[in-house]
Amino acid sequence: MSEQKPTAQGDVPEQLERALAAEVSLRSRMRHVAVGLAGGGGAALVAVLWATEPDPLPARTQLAFAGLIVIGLAWTGFAGWVLSRRRPLFARDRVLGARLALGATAVTAVAGTVLAAVRGTAADVLATAVGGVVLTAAAVLVLVRARSRRRELLRLRDALRRGAS
Amino acid sequence: MSGDVRDGLLVVRCQLGEREAFRELVGVWHAPLRRYLQGMAGSPHLADDLAQEVWIAVVRGLPRLRQPERFTPWLFTIARRTVTDHLRQAYRAPATPLEEAAAVVAEGDELSGVLTTMQIEAGLSELPPPEREVLILFHLEDLPLAACAEVLGVAPGTVKSRLHRARRMLRTILAERGYEA
Repeated sequence: MSEQKPTAQGDVPEQLERALAAEVSLRSRMRHVAVGLAGGGGAALVAVLWATEPDPLPARTQLAFAGLIVIGLAWTGFAGWVLSRRRPLFARDRVLGARLALGATAVTAVAGTVLAAVRGTAADVLATAVGGVVLTAAAVLVLVRARSRRRELLRLRDALRRGAS
Repeated sequence: MSGDVRDGLLVVRCQLGEREAFRELVGVWHAPLRRYLQGMAGSPHLADDLAQEVWIAVVRGLPRLRQPERFTPWLFTIARRTVTDHLRQAYRAPATPLEEAAAVVAEGDELSGVLTTMQIEAGLSELPPPEREVLILFHLEDLPLAACAEVLGVAPGTVKSRLHRARRMLRTILAERGYEA
């Protein structure tokens, strides 16, 4: 059997190149990361707002808040589905996305805690702060893992390059 | 640079997110992939459509590929699944008993040394999909027996058996056309 010798040729159809360029677009991925973070952050802040409301809310307002939370979570779920199935993040994208997630989570946690401090009881503040810390810690973990995976791939790339030369 | 190292390096660069590496990877593998798809599907237009479908699936699955050196069988496994979905109605692969496969291993194959790429391509269209597929993977794409087995989802012995049957069928077809070696 002869050695596998596929050769680089200029015979890749333009349409395919365009489709693949769209498929690997960084902008598209980061857009979905942003959508997911905005949805999750928005839902969290509305939840804090609702939880720290001193007086019982009218039914319509409760319905509106619940609707906003569901919409926010739906966007987060949709972004998660896209980023896992249709536009999975490559190592560099993952690091970038994790940094965005850490920033957004920290901002949401601080904003939520401030909101709870202004409007709620000490228990509300504590619960919000603990929730914020947990989510921020999760974001830190995601960033650490993303950077670790990228370093691992960089090492592998360098080893393969050395082996090739 | 050997093919495996080159492919492994390209795959790792793709997994890192180097966009230029995708162009290179597609440039290297598009022609063999399209040849496989055209051999299986028969129509050049359908092969183009399927190739695009395969490449999109490859791009989407690449971040999860944990063994970059296994790119080739992985690529052809995706291609096979894609083309099989399109050919499902016509695709009726008969199961091959392992005993038959074992018998073929011991048996010499008088055709293996005389078939050329042109001859195989000439008779491919008249073979049933399972036999056509194994000939394309083994003879035209030059995949090792183990990689063929991985792509086809069968034991290496079954690949040998199927190859043997495919060659016999091809010989009959070629003999009818006056290609007899």
